[in-house]
Amino acid sequence: MITLANVTKRYGALAAVDSLDLEVPRGELFGFLGPNGAGKTTTIRMMMGILKPTSGQVFLGGHDVEQEPEKAKALAGFIPDRPFIYEKLTGCEFLKFVGRLHHVEPERLLRRIAELLEHLELTRWKDELVESYSHGMKQRLVVCGALIHEPRILVVDEPMVGMDPKGSRTLKDLFRTLAEKGTTVFLSTHSISVAEEVCHRIGIIQRGRLIACGTMADLHSQAKNKNGNLESVFLELTQDPPADAATPGR
Amino acid sequence: MNSILVLLSPFWFSWRNDFLRGGQPWHRRLFLLALSAGLWLGTFIVIRRVLLYFQSVYELGPALAYQFLLIILLTFFSMLLFSNLIAALSAFFLARDLDLVLATPTNLNSFYYSRLITTTLNSSWMVLFFSLPIFAAYAAVFRGGITFYLWVALVLPLYVIIPASLGVLVTHLLVYILPARRIRNILLFFGLFGFIALYFLFRLSRPEQLVQPENFGHFVQFLSAMETPSSLFLPSSWSADVLAGSLFQRSTDQRFFYALLASYALFFPLATSWVSSAVYLSGWSKAQESPHGRRHLKWLDPTLEWITRPFPEIPRAIMIKDIKTFLRDTTQWSQLFLLLALIVVYLYNFKVLPLDRTPLPTATLATLVCFANLALAGFVLSAVAIRFAFPAVSLEGQAFWLLQTSPISLRSMVWSKFWLNFIPLLGLGELLVFLSNVLLRVPPWMMALSLITVFLMTFGITAIGVGVGALYPRFHFDNAAEIPTSFGGALCMIFSVAFIGVVVMIEAWPIYLLAMETLNTGRLIVPEFRVIAPSLAGIVALTMVAVIVPLRLGLQRLEQLRDGRSRADR
Repeated sequence: MITLANVTKRYGALAAVDSLDLEVPRGELFGFLGPNGAGKTTTIRMMMGILKPTSGQVFLGGHDVEQEPEKAKALAGFIPDRPFIYEKLTGCEFLKFVGRLHHVEPERLLRRIAELLEHLELTRWKDELVESYSHGMKQRLVVCGALIHEPRILVVDEPMVGMDPKGSRTLKDLFRTLAEKGTTVFLSTHSISVAEEVCHRIGIIQRGRLIACGTMADLHSQAKNKNGNLESVFLELTQDPPADAATPGR
Repeated sequence: MNSILVLLSPFWFSWRNDFLRGGQPWHRRLFLLALSAGLWLGTFIVIRRVLLYFQSVYELGPALAYQFLLIILLTFFSMLLFSNLIAALSAFFLARDLDLVLATPTNLNSFYYSRLITTTLNSSWMVLFFSLPIFAAYAAVFRGGITFYLWVALVLPLYVIIPASLGVLVTHLLVYILPARRIRNILLFFGLFGFIALYFLFRLSRPEQLVQPENFGHFVQFLSAMETPSSLFLPSSWSADVLAGSLFQRSTDQRFFYALLASYALFFPLATSWVSSAVYLSGWSKAQESPHGRRHLKWLDPTLEWITRPFPEIPRAIMIKDIKTFLRDTTQWSQLFLLLALIVVYLYNFKVLPLDRTPLPTATLATLVCFANLALAGFVLSAVAIRFAFPAVSLEGQAFWLLQTSPISLRSMVWSKFWLNFIPLLGLGELLVFLSNVLLRVPPWMMALSLITVFLMTFGITAIGVGVGALYPRFHFDNAAEIPTSFGGALCMIFSVAFIGVVVMIEAWPIYLLAMETLNTGRLIVPEFRVIAPSLAGIVALTMVAVIVPLRLGLQRLEQLRDGRSRADR
């Protein structure tokens, strides 16, 4: 469902993402782990057509994001790490806007808005201006926006930032349910516990390169660490470099 | 079409919600409405008076009024071109909602047209607003009637869409061609572009012709020059010709010029849409690549430490931080190019003044012009203060908590902002007045009086800028350039202009007496100190009020913010 074929993104001499090959099948909940500045957000932005790869191709549902951006993006929902919401719109107006961008028919749109607001406990606030929302409420509204058109692919960048434990739990359950129903969830995070708890497979990226990928068992064997948890595996796999200058813009 | 409307909907809904749900209290809205009406009426009255004066000039009235219309439209055109460049960069490449919108299956063509519309509206509404009383004055003086208004309604949309699409086109090409990591260079280019465009467009309008008929040798030649546009290839000239056709008895082919205008107004957006579809996504992708590897200027820290040495430790730390932020924020320092253009045009005006061709004695005229110059310099200073002093407190932005929670007095912060703005403003004001007075060849006493007055005025103007900026802080902004466009910015401008007006009035009387005396006697009289002293004392007193009151009010407001008793961004 998601294919990254030899994707590279260079900022001058520096490769933020370097020859990345990745395949995520339908219905998989894929965790994308990496230290700060490893290239996670750059990868996600290329997947969503926000950044152009220097070379390589990204396919969503078989559609090349560069060649057929509208078809590719129609399949995906995106939850960015620092989402923007129009502060002077109400929650409901924001969702209507996003739904219309995704060409959701009016009746279905109203139904989806009601469902999602109810599920993420925002119904009471739907007619309030977004500027009056708390950080967690805004996050939940963005999740509603990403799911409004019932996407086949959900791309999520650092979803738990600013979420309270209850919100975090709701979100994790939501991702699991979506995956069970066939949605492919690409979850970028540096929260190891989240990845360990919900993901079927995990890819670890460091300095733009995918250094490990597989199930928890696969990662254990790659790290030659048979007993530890994901945290110790992650630390072992990513331990080598004396972090040479984190790159802005990644 | 439907998808364009969808893309425009957040702007419309945001505006509607802000209007209906309280963004601003009603008394403030009424005040703004009254202010707008006042400005509108004032513009109408001034332009009408000028046009009536033109009309009274035998045979030449319509020709002069036509040239005046050309100059106005040319000036507006250049302003539109520049503001569209900035607005297009923001709307197409820097807006915060781009990730949201472009991660959806949005059609790029619809996206282009929706952003073209918002760019056009954002950068043109003010020009349109101020052009209406001007057209109303033309209609009133030259009896344009309904036909004229009809032509205005037909011409204006086309007139504003051309610079808008040109601005969008240039922005696309710049972002595509230049490495976007050097986005500050793009803005630098914009600054230069705006400056050069303004300068050339102003020069093209040949405004000095209006007061130099003798250059033409013969009356008929003069009249003929007055009746033709300075540049036939500018949309502003075509618009002027269409409008003049229904105002004056001219042999203009209105339909031809309108067709010309319409063809360009249709062609440019279309051509730009082709360019946009070809280069936009690459350009936008580039625009997100953050700059890195900034060159460290070794001399900067010691220089700043040296410059700020006279100030106590805390204001000094804040000043150094502010100067560094200013130098590293392209949106701030690129405004200096506008300032440069302003100064050049300002001084150029004095250079081309035909002082020796007027019936008034040169000395009298120089004194009168020098006096007007003081007011003009004050207006320039207040315009600059709005750009730099007014946003000073707001620029602390979302990092204001740092100052709020630090063991420092907000008074230190406000005063550091005051001095940081006062010094460059003083330099600018003194330079403007000195150079223009040199061009005017004013006597030494007048030079001294002007320099002292500007010195005092700068205190007041800076304090009003910083004080009102603190009174109405706006800590959440996308672009520093948008801070002065707030309600507080309007208030600041009004107070500044009022302050300058009162200063000028206080000084006007003795200078007026003096000018009349030189006119009657025909010889230059150096005024006695006792004539000038009372007005200078008055100005000193007024300046003290203008410094103390706004700064104190601003400080009180910031203290309230610290106590959580009020909210910013109103």
